[in-house]
Amino acid sequence: MTAHNRRPLPKRSLVWLSVIVVALAAPLVFRSDTALNIGILLLLYATLAQAWNILGGLAGQISFGNAVFFGIGAYTSTVLLVRAGVSPWLGMLAGAALALVVALLVGFPMFRLGGHYFAIATIALGEIASTIVTNWDAVGGATGIVIPLVRDAQGQPSDSWRMLQFNQSRLPYYYLALVLLALTTLVTALILRSKLGYYLRAIRNDQQAARALGVAVLRYKLAAIALSAIFTAIAGTLYAQYLLYIDPETTMRLDLSVLAALIAILGGVGTVAGPLIGAAVMVPMSELTRAFLGGGGNAIDLLLYGGLIVLISLFEPQGLIGIGRRFRRSPRSQPVAVEPAPVSSSEEAH
Amino acid sequence: MPLLEVDRVTMRFGGLLANDAVSFGVEPGQIVGLIGPNGAGKTTLFNCISGFLRPTSGHIRFAGQDVTGWPAERLVHAGLARTFQIVRTFTDMTVRENVMVGAFARTNSTAEARRIADELLAFTGLASRADVLGGNLTVAEKKRVELARALATQPRLLLLDEVMSGLTPAERGQAVDLIRAVRERGIAVVLVEHIMEVVMPVSDWVVVLSSGRKIAEGPPATVARDPDVIAAYLGERYRQRMQEEA
Repeated sequence: MTAHNRRPLPKRSLVWLSVIVVALAAPLVFRSDTALNIGILLLLYATLAQAWNILGGLAGQISFGNAVFFGIGAYTSTVLLVRAGVSPWLGMLAGAALALVVALLVGFPMFRLGGHYFAIATIALGEIASTIVTNWDAVGGATGIVIPLVRDAQGQPSDSWRMLQFNQSRLPYYYLALVLLALTTLVTALILRSKLGYYLRAIRNDQQAARALGVAVLRYKLAAIALSAIFTAIAGTLYAQYLLYIDPETTMRLDLSVLAALIAILGGVGTVAGPLIGAAVMVPMSELTRAFLGGGGNAIDLLLYGGLIVLISLFEPQGLIGIGRRFRRSPRSQPVAVEPAPVSSSEEAH
Repeated sequence: MPLLEVDRVTMRFGGLLANDAVSFGVEPGQIVGLIGPNGAGKTTLFNCISGFLRPTSGHIRFAGQDVTGWPAERLVHAGLARTFQIVRTFTDMTVRENVMVGAFARTNSTAEARRIADELLAFTGLASRADVLGGNLTVAEKKRVELARALATQPRLLLLDEVMSGLTPAERGQAVDLIRAVRERGIAVVLVEHIMEVVMPVSDWVVVLSSGRKIAEGPPATVARDPDVIAAYLGERYRQRMQEEA
């Protein structure tokens, strides 16, 4: 690190530190089941958005098919558990591995499509995957799969770390989801500082220019979709173990893919904090409107997202994080041409 | 042995023959001007050499290797870099970050890429603009970023596509100084321009294209007097009048 980079760091680490403390302490303060449920969903959706951000935000490849990877994670661990008694921890690894393979297989042909066509192809991919699962009886078809409860000697539902199931208190799910989100966020931050991050941003900006600078565009896009798929699949397994029930409707639907994208876009695309901010705003809002307006209010939360997205795209395409930046004076956002460029450049060469 | 050898390169788009068996060579450390009127096929030839188009026939050899059909990203690693006529700055990355992307062709370390970038920002006179976003630059500055970025890949041959266009006369003078400074680093340069006046003084050798064919090549002074070149630029009637007057 150079001196240039060091100065703003302490303030920023302080912000991250307080976010971590708040996240750790929140479920101990807000102890109701509703609050805990919102907290767990918030963390899982934030993970989905952060994983989407690697592909859609950093690399600029807008995907509306990430639910496929979520579904692969949920279904792989659940099928292995129900059919073969495999621990969901191993199932989680298997799901991540399968999602990685599928990501590479579909990424290879789909990344040849430019711009909007890639986004459209990902929608098709999602529909194909959910149709297959809905009609595949061996994995529960349209009715889905129920994960049997772990029971103690008295036959009461109990907790088991080995089986990744917590029936006494849901608190462990919260902390597991928090660890997963922290890991996904850390990986995103590390990518941004590395060659991979610079290359993905270059690809998002201009693929031809990136090629002219030696960037093997397809290879780096595949790296992005692979990382995105792995974290999304792990979140899928955790989600399945939390709900103890999966079906194509909840794990593979298009809304879920769109939600992952919307949260990241709302918060701020291509930034580390954006998906977290987006989830922190959107998930409680959606859950609370649903709670207050009852079953009939199902569409109200969608209406709210829609409205928010319209406002964001109109007034602050950089997302909520962009609004925050407006209040800070940053040298990057100041008007240009304050100082003329140095006159003779060849002199400086000698 | 020449660093770059373009050997009877032909590029056909359907019925259009954009390049017709064009051949020329570039020696190490040489500045070669590739000129011709608009539509002569300069940019097409450029795209063939830099790996953005695969020629219909013919061969391109670079540093002793047949590189015909190699994709651009592979050529960069072999030591052949290019800039674009219409600047393609990464608009939401800073000037330094733009140049770092180029530097990553030679290193995996972010610190090393930053060091290479800062050195080239000083070389191209952009040091004071390092933290400005690419989208907030003037055209002349963007052209410098293109150049700094391409240099960061540490090429042996740099292909510059119309670096002078859109610049004021003063800025052109600075650009010419910069190109000479690039050559002093031991890098060969191919300059594509349709403005003859800017290419002639800086080039060691000039290749002239017209309607897809090479119509002349040689030292700038010789090429400037070539009747075919004059005809291509100023029209056949002008050439006849010159001959009548002579």
